[in-house]
Amino acid sequence: MVLVLAIGDLHIPHRAADLPAKFKSMLVPGKIQHIICTGNLCIKEVHDYLKSLCPSLHITRGEYDEDSRYPETKTITIGQFKLGLCHGHQVVPWGDLDSLAMLQRQLDVDILVSGHTHQFKAYKHEAGVVINPGSATGAYSSITYDVNPSFVLMDIDGLRVVVYVYELIDGEVKVDKIDFKKTSTATL
Amino acid sequence: MVKKRVPDWLNSPMWSSPTVTTSPPWKSRPLSPTNDDRTGGYPSSVTSSDSSVNEPRFMLPPPALIRPEPTLRTEISDSSIRDNDSSASVEEFSRQTQLLQELSKKIINLGELRLLASLGIPDAAGIRSTTWKLLLGYLPIDKRIWSSELSKKRSQYKHFKEDLLMNPSEITRKLEDSASPKNGDQIIEGKGLLARSKIPHGDHPLSLGKTSIWNQYFQDSEIIEQIDRDVKRTHPDIQFFSGDSASAKANQDSLKNILIVYAKLNPGIRYVQGMNEILAPLFYVFKNDPNEDYAVNAEADTFFCFVELLSDFRDNFTQQLDNSIAGIRSTISRLSQLLKQHDEELWRHLEVTTQVNPQFYAFRWITLLLTQEFNFTDILHIWDMLLSNPVGPRETLLRVCCAMLILVRRRLLAGDFTANLKLLQSYPSTNVSHLLYIANKLNSHSTQ
Repeated sequence: MVLVLAIGDLHIPHRAADLPAKFKSMLVPGKIQHIICTGNLCIKEVHDYLKSLCPSLHITRGEYDEDSRYPETKTITIGQFKLGLCHGHQVVPWGDLDSLAMLQRQLDVDILVSGHTHQFKAYKHEAGVVINPGSATGAYSSITYDVNPSFVLMDIDGLRVVVYVYELIDGEVKVDKIDFKKTSTATL
Repeated sequence: MVKKRVPDWLNSPMWSSPTVTTSPPWKSRPLSPTNDDRTGGYPSSVTSSDSSVNEPRFMLPPPALIRPEPTLRTEISDSSIRDNDSSASVEEFSRQTQLLQELSKKIINLGELRLLASLGIPDAAGIRSTTWKLLLGYLPIDKRIWSSELSKKRSQYKHFKEDLLMNPSEITRKLEDSASPKNGDQIIEGKGLLARSKIPHGDHPLSLGKTSIWNQYFQDSEIIEQIDRDVKRTHPDIQFFSGDSASAKANQDSLKNILIVYAKLNPGIRYVQGMNEILAPLFYVFKNDPNEDYAVNAEADTFFCFVELLSDFRDNFTQQLDNSIAGIRSTISRLSQLLKQHDEELWRHLEVTTQVNPQFYAFRWITLLLTQEFNFTDILHIWDMLLSNPVGPRETLLRVCCAMLILVRRRLLAGDFTANLKLLQSYPSTNVSHLLYIANKLNSHSTQ
């Protein structure tokens, strides 16, 4: 039972001041084993805050990140799953599922986590699953102003993943879940 | 105020330590699973049981004192005990046969068993394991219903484990599978947006609600961590409990499971440091039972016996009861009273003259049932007596503690605060059968 937090596109301090209070109260250290962050934090303070939640932190570079040392893409193996991480501004057209699928095949991962569109999405295709955790602060994107703050928590348990989607809609935290399983052969 | 005389039996030569030392006491200690590091600090120490150390473990007290106590010795077939060495093994063998005889009856007489057990249970043939189970009330006295009782209890423990040791992922999965067995596995062929579904009972991993199973899981994980740490530190010198072997790890896992199940079933007392020490001898005895069936199910049996044993002593672990009548402080003051009753001179010297507050040494003796004061084999013998004495384990424990004090009275009377405290906090090794004999003596003299 491994809990993995997928979060990104915070755009602090340029487009948002901080995470919503309700999200912050839920994110306490000691519960989460890994954090994967799509990028666009943008400053070191946010990096330190995420590090305090969990020492195992993986970040990829977004176009507004002040720290240029983050990699463009990253692959991590957690349990039976291979996860790929990429901010998403490199994949053109932005948010296009076929292009993301191409990236996923390139990285050869089961689950690809990418952001940039600030919209939550969970999509399955033959090569695997693509998850977009959205923007945790609800910051506006180049595509739209109407953004609900959201992030994703994955519970990886053997060959099964339960994805909990946390969204802030009208000031209330709404949680949904998505289940999927991996067959014991290589691909989903 | 008339000073109470030290009773004559206390002044008998068997307490005194002969000044001539032939061989250091600890060198002639019989084989025990641990190396006794407690004697290290006392090279010239000769305790009052020095004369009897060289003999095998199950030796009798000096023959001179046997004659006045015929009631306890009716089981002994040979009346004249000349040579301690050979008679000790004969006596042990006769005790063993008597115990086996008692245990093989269809309906076991608990009183008889207690009497036999209080003399000491031999290590052979799993006798101790079965006797302790009977004494703790886990096995009923009617042998015919043993198998049904055992299977009932063992399956009960199995259910406890299943219910309480599951992590929340598994729990939610089980709930879902039972709620909608045919629900899509979400293995959609081809492409598509993944469907979102409602979360069960509004429960999610980051929930801070009181009824959330996730929240409870994270709160329990602190206790589980503490249990884990303590189990790893239990008896580090004994191979059964620690080391890298697979069996040691399996034993540690069993100990952990028992303590976690107990903590979850008893939210009032949870887990307190020290419970692992009380659990260890029980599990050791039950796991080393030559009967295969018993050894395999040792974890379940130990759990119930542990619950039974702790029910007598749980007040010692409850912090709120510390100052009350049931709590540890009052137990310690009862020990003090007992000492005063039997040996006023020593009591006065300890409490008044040298001001050694009994809390400094007796706390550990009482709460941990003397598991930290003696080596492992001795602990088993002391526990034989604790469990079998009809007055009950709490009272017997106090008598053994009192006997421990009286046994080293010469050194205590000669020592000051530091020396006495040092002596009592690392109690020197003695002949345990002797110690238990004295504790029994305190029995009969308690109405003085």
